[in-house]
Amino acid sequence: MPDAALIGRYWPADSPLHRMDARAKLVMSLVLMAVVFVAQTFWGLAVCALFIGAFFLLARIPLGKALRSVAPLAFIVVVTALLNVFFVQGGPVYFEWWIVRISQAGLVQAAFIACRLLLLLLGVSLLTLTTQTLDITDAFEHLLKPLARFGVPAHELSMMMGIALRFLPQFAQELATIYRAQLSRAATFSKGRARTLLSLMVPLFTSAFRHAETLSSAMDARCYHGGAGRTRLHPLALSRTDAAAAGVLALMLACVFATNFIPH
Amino acid sequence: MPLAFEGVSYSYDDPKGRKKKRAHRSAQTEPAAAATGGARRWALHEVSFTLEDGEFLGLAGHTGSGKSTLIQHANGLLHPTEGRVLFDGRDLADKQAAQECRSAVGLVFQYPEHQLFAATVREDVAFGPRNLGLPEDEVAARVSEALALVHLDEADVAERSPFELSGGQQRRVAFAGVLAMRPRVLVLDEPVAGLDPVAREEFLALIGELHRTGLSLMMASHSMEDLARLADRILVLAGGEMLRLGTPEEVFSDGEGLRAVGLDVPAAQRFAEQLRAEGFRLPRALYDVESLAADIAAELGAGASAAEPAAAAAGPATSQQEGHHA
Amino acid sequence: MSTLEPSGFALGAAAASAAADASDVAAAPATAAPDPAPAVDAHGLAFTYDGSSFVLQGIDLRIERGEFVAILGGNGSGKSTLAKHMNALLTPDEGRMDVLGRDTRDPQATYLIRSQAGMVFQNPDDQLVASLVENDVAFGPENLGVPAPELRERVDESLEAVGLPGFQKRETASLSGGQKQRVATAGMLAMRPEIVILDEATSMLDPQGRASFMELCRSMHAAGKTVVMITHFMEEASQADRVVVLDGGRVACEGAPDEVLSQADLLEHLNLDVPFSCALSLALRAAGVDAGVHVRPYELKEELCRLHSKA
Repeated sequence: MPDAALIGRYWPADSPLHRMDARAKLVMSLVLMAVVFVAQTFWGLAVCALFIGAFFLLARIPLGKALRSVAPLAFIVVVTALLNVFFVQGGPVYFEWWIVRISQAGLVQAAFIACRLLLLLLGVSLLTLTTQTLDITDAFEHLLKPLARFGVPAHELSMMMGIALRFLPQFAQELATIYRAQLSRAATFSKGRARTLLSLMVPLFTSAFRHAETLSSAMDARCYHGGAGRTRLHPLALSRTDAAAAGVLALMLACVFATNFIPH
Repeated sequence: MPLAFEGVSYSYDDPKGRKKKRAHRSAQTEPAAAATGGARRWALHEVSFTLEDGEFLGLAGHTGSGKSTLIQHANGLLHPTEGRVLFDGRDLADKQAAQECRSAVGLVFQYPEHQLFAATVREDVAFGPRNLGLPEDEVAARVSEALALVHLDEADVAERSPFELSGGQQRRVAFAGVLAMRPRVLVLDEPVAGLDPVAREEFLALIGELHRTGLSLMMASHSMEDLARLADRILVLAGGEMLRLGTPEEVFSDGEGLRAVGLDVPAAQRFAEQLRAEGFRLPRALYDVESLAADIAAELGAGASAAEPAAAAAGPATSQQEGHHA
Repeated sequence: MSTLEPSGFALGAAAASAAADASDVAAAPATAAPDPAPAVDAHGLAFTYDGSSFVLQGIDLRIERGEFVAILGGNGSGKSTLAKHMNALLTPDEGRMDVLGRDTRDPQATYLIRSQAGMVFQNPDDQLVASLVENDVAFGPENLGVPAPELRERVDESLEAVGLPGFQKRETASLSGGQKQRVATAGMLAMRPEIVILDEATSMLDPQGRASFMELCRSMHAAGKTVVMITHFMEEASQADRVVVLDGGRVACEGAPDEVLSQADLLEHLNLDVPFSCALSLALRAAGVDAGVHVRPYELKEELCRLHSKA
């Protein structure tokens, strides 16, 4: 069966990044994203790239695998870059035809945005590649816990997230099967007619409901009754690695911030 | 010769390496090509066979043997990484040929009822014919014809939602949806999976009927009993390679070879093997329950006349009759 | 393996927040010890999903501890509905169902019953909760509030028991159907149940997966578990101590596999297959050879060899 392509599916390895507390990783990836946004120059992006590259090295994830893990979202990068090419104007004009005009500023801006987006995606995939989904959802639950007293169902939300992630590859595979089955009934999807679209979506949804029904029985049968009194196979615990990681991140932020003062 | 597989190999790692590999293959000698092929993981490797007109070809192999991959080559959903699939002599690598083949080769996936979607049975069955761009009166005629073929009462079910029907009926609707395209070849992936014994029998009978109307059939099944009973020839896949291709008699004469790849022979055949090991003389190449009982009776009756006169008298008589018309 | 898990009970209590529940559950081993109640005891059980048509009616069924019982029936016979009554997923509308001496309608006993009567479902893709094998196996005991070091112990032990040692870090999505069913079984065993309910657990597996799953069932039975297997495969049912056949929501017949499965007419009437060796026994009888009617092929073979050597 073809593997369902997913962004940054967990890559099992034994590395300091894998061992980090999921809560710390979740917070730090948010910080990492912010740092990428702090970078205002190519120098800054280069520093980010250097650090993120080092993180991947440390996580023992081959760079090719990392790039492939964000490939499904590459179109966002391309589309954003193209928008910049066409809409940002300034400097010498390289190409002009009808209403299309490509200028230097547009190209530079497009390259900058593309690099920044790519780094952002790599940063996010770093979290999902090194953290099991259940741990991410646990971390999510922990971070939401303070909100529980305002009635936010932290445990339920994170459980939902975890199950959605667990079923994602399965639904992708089912969709592929349904797609091929309808192709075999001479359906053409290129024209995007409503009926052909329904022929994919209805079976996918009925299958989702079918799965949900059994899954909820199966969870009941295993004594699931919400978050109260539940223990964890992998209890979350902060360690020295997390502290070290925070230090490295602070260093990265400082470096990137410094690059903003390098004259162009 | 409607459907021919010629040296078909398929790799999920590099499905589109087709052109490159072909050039490579023509330049190199066969063994060298095989050697380069050994490096990658093949879902199918060097599969060649022809589904003759009106033939019923069984497809055996356990999960992961490449059955589903092979089946999806039959109507051009997948294209070989190496080799080619021909339908009526035309290579399915050609888009036009693949498109035409989609209506001539009806493919029924495993659990096809999970692909039903329309509000009524009629609408669902009409999906295929409408996609072919047929006029409405022709579509209506095809729907009636297809529902009749699967023994569903049009007046009763056509306007109902397919989701209200029983599991077995839903599967019939899904079958009708494919038959409404008037395929010449029907390819079935585990058509009776998940049905209870009665529904299973009814469905196998239905498949036998469809075959007798002149359809060529290719059926993947885990049940060796079903394959032995229905198929003219059986193709056994193991690890993506062709292990056997022959009549049920030929394929099931080698129980050891099949068990070595995690398959088995029909229960009666296995039992016959065990009795042979105990010194029974059982001459037939392939046994079912009736023929096995007849031959055991003959074997026991031959020398048992003194000990059990009644059995001896009845045994050989029935077995010989059986033997003659078998 | 011990039949009762005092730690499991106590932990089950810790999981449930209600104090009343805690005292109730803690009392369970004490009452269960002197007079071991049967594993499953149904009296006049009736059930309806929609309030009008009964899926089960007048079911009287007693399953002793340590028994291996197969429940047979065609589609719509009510067999899966009955299975869901055995771990309080459903409760009777009429009559009663006691599991290990506890009424399933008693809400205080629900989690105790569910932890002690584990269930494996039909579809391997629908019952795994987590993406990683060890997290899935730990799900049940986590819900029971088992502390972390013991969780690890239970996960390793259960995976060992189902023949998947070393699968802890594997992704559930990458497993075969048979392996998924084993993981689901491990997840159930990790709750250390007394009763194991298999609801058509083999029906979506290929013959190879089915055969090895049957071996697992036998090993669980040998380890002292009460095994209740819902199936429509005769060869599987023939391996049980006792067979119960359901038809139209009622018990149509029950008895030893040899008694029940050899009644070809009855089985056909109930939309069931006749096991191969019974079919052959009957065909032999029609051909004039009386070798008796055998449910298991090797018994028929022995009998035929005996006749052969005499002849």
